[in-house]
Amino acid sequence: MAALHCLQVCANLVYANQQPWHNSGGAVYQPSVDGQQDRLTRFVLLLPLLFVLTGTLIRFLAFRYHQPDTPWTEYFGAMCRWDCIWYVNLAEDGYSRFPVPDRVAAANWAFFPFYPILVGALGKLLPIPTIVLASLMSIVTAYVAVVVAWPLLGRSRRAYALYAAFILSGPISIYFTTFFTEVMFVLLTTLVFRFLGRSNYLGAATAAALLSGTRIIGVFVSLSLGLQALLDRRRTTGSWRGWLPGLLGQPKLVLAVFLSPLGLFLYIAFLHYWIGDGLAFSHVQRAWARQVGNPFGYLWQGLTAWSTTPGQWLTHSQVLALSAVAGLALTAVLGWRRQWPAALFALLAILIPLAAGLASMLRFMVAMAPLTITLMTLLARWRWLFALSLVTLLVSAWFVTLAWFGGNLALV
Amino acid sequence: MRLFDRSPIAFGAYGLAALLAVFELAVLLQALHPQVSDNYRAYYIDRTNTCLSQPVTGEYTLGTEINFRSGGPNTRELRPCGWDGPAGDGMHSIGETSRLLFDVGAAQPLSLMLELTGVSLEGPPVQHVDVSANGVALGTLEVTPGRTDRFTTAVPAAVIDGAGKLTIQLDFPDAIDPSKGRVSNTHWRAVKLSAASVTPTSK
Repeated sequence: MAALHCLQVCANLVYANQQPWHNSGGAVYQPSVDGQQDRLTRFVLLLPLLFVLTGTLIRFLAFRYHQPDTPWTEYFGAMCRWDCIWYVNLAEDGYSRFPVPDRVAAANWAFFPFYPILVGALGKLLPIPTIVLASLMSIVTAYVAVVVAWPLLGRSRRAYALYAAFILSGPISIYFTTFFTEVMFVLLTTLVFRFLGRSNYLGAATAAALLSGTRIIGVFVSLSLGLQALLDRRRTTGSWRGWLPGLLGQPKLVLAVFLSPLGLFLYIAFLHYWIGDGLAFSHVQRAWARQVGNPFGYLWQGLTAWSTTPGQWLTHSQVLALSAVAGLALTAVLGWRRQWPAALFALLAILIPLAAGLASMLRFMVAMAPLTITLMTLLARWRWLFALSLVTLLVSAWFVTLAWFGGNLALV
Repeated sequence: MRLFDRSPIAFGAYGLAALLAVFELAVLLQALHPQVSDNYRAYYIDRTNTCLSQPVTGEYTLGTEINFRSGGPNTRELRPCGWDGPAGDGMHSIGETSRLLFDVGAAQPLSLMLELTGVSLEGPPVQHVDVSANGVALGTLEVTPGRTDRFTTAVPAAVIDGAGKLTIQLDFPDAIDPSKGRVSNTHWRAVKLSAASVTPTSK
């Protein structure tokens, strides 16, 4: 019954967008009861479920292969590495005071609260281990993130299939199916751009408010909202003149502007109350040796960090740098497609973390929904490329999951 | 449309936006004036210190030589900050300052022994280590990269505080940035500490 209810809710999500903003096919899909529509609904709702199954199977088999002596019941715990462990502790124990109980400089203030609080709150109600609960929540969130992305993929079945495989069964599905904030970041980013596509500023701002409480970079989507409003006004009036009074004359837009960064401001207020430093999430980066510098300098250093190990093609620094380069290239594609609000957000979401180094850049890039959605629309362009991409995604999931268990630093 | 022509919902939206703006401005102003300890401020905000002192007891039996290599005793209560490890070759200094704390009881003349090895990273031919006890300079050691030496220095009774605590501070003016500009000075390297002791000396 619950599953049926979930599918109904998801169906509503699929069709909530009646005014597609990126509809390459030109067709407008309305909720209807005809057979073709039903088949489409089933495709959109059921295909991701298939990839939930294949992804779980691949990752589980990789776990058994890598750790044959570990009981299978510890699968979710074994998948939890690096920042995941911080999130589990955060969901269970909340934020540290100063000095932190472990008596180290690194503290969990660096991790934004929305997703861990959500898991922690549900954990108070459900008596199951936090990592199991969080992993199940992540899988559900990833599923919903895929379903709501359907209109943004131009309603292309091939692009949708690739995106579903990428998120739920692809090489980096590890991030979206254990306890990282990336999965919530993807869902909320997708919602923001769906709402913006309909010029629903308040809807976008509500998702943006949650996004700014999920990762620091989320607050920059507020700029996309402002840019979308400007572009909408330009489209309506045909002129840039009087843009400021024009925007201020829209009460919903004004409210949206101040609502969208609310998650970040609430977190700052909490940190000030809790440890006396509202910007502790930024200051604590010093404990991880993060050094602000020229993003392109970091990029160049990463690209030229050649391997000295025989047989190693790429160093982890090169992988991280290449993922940033790929992100910039896809941002250029967004610009070329005149999706300016998404391009602006993507550019800031690449350059700002890059100014603190290459660490986690691969994870940051794959969690940028505007970029991965764009990539899938490119890979879906030709049937042969689609088939090759799909196979590559599924096969590489096995190897990357093994690399994850092996502690590959490019995946941190 | 003039302001007084607007609906109550529009007024509500503007009012709510104004409330949010005031709240966000207040939070921002508050964030610009952190209320934190000097220790916190120096490490996280002003970045004038790489050694964030942590609360440790300094529990120690006078005259005992402590092994700081992996496999040795748990030395956490002797290390307020500036150390990473233990590793097989000792406790690695991180940052430009490291500290040790010893609870030595009543004030008396002491002898401090440190067994140090200079890190083998590309850098200066010698690591200078400025040693101080409870803020009083004891001297400068010269530690050679890749070589392990024992250094002994006298600690006058006068520097021991009323609570019987002895904080040994090691400053590393030649600390090496292992990544050539990619990491902050909190992770620079200088020496490895493999053993230490504080021993009473005859009066």
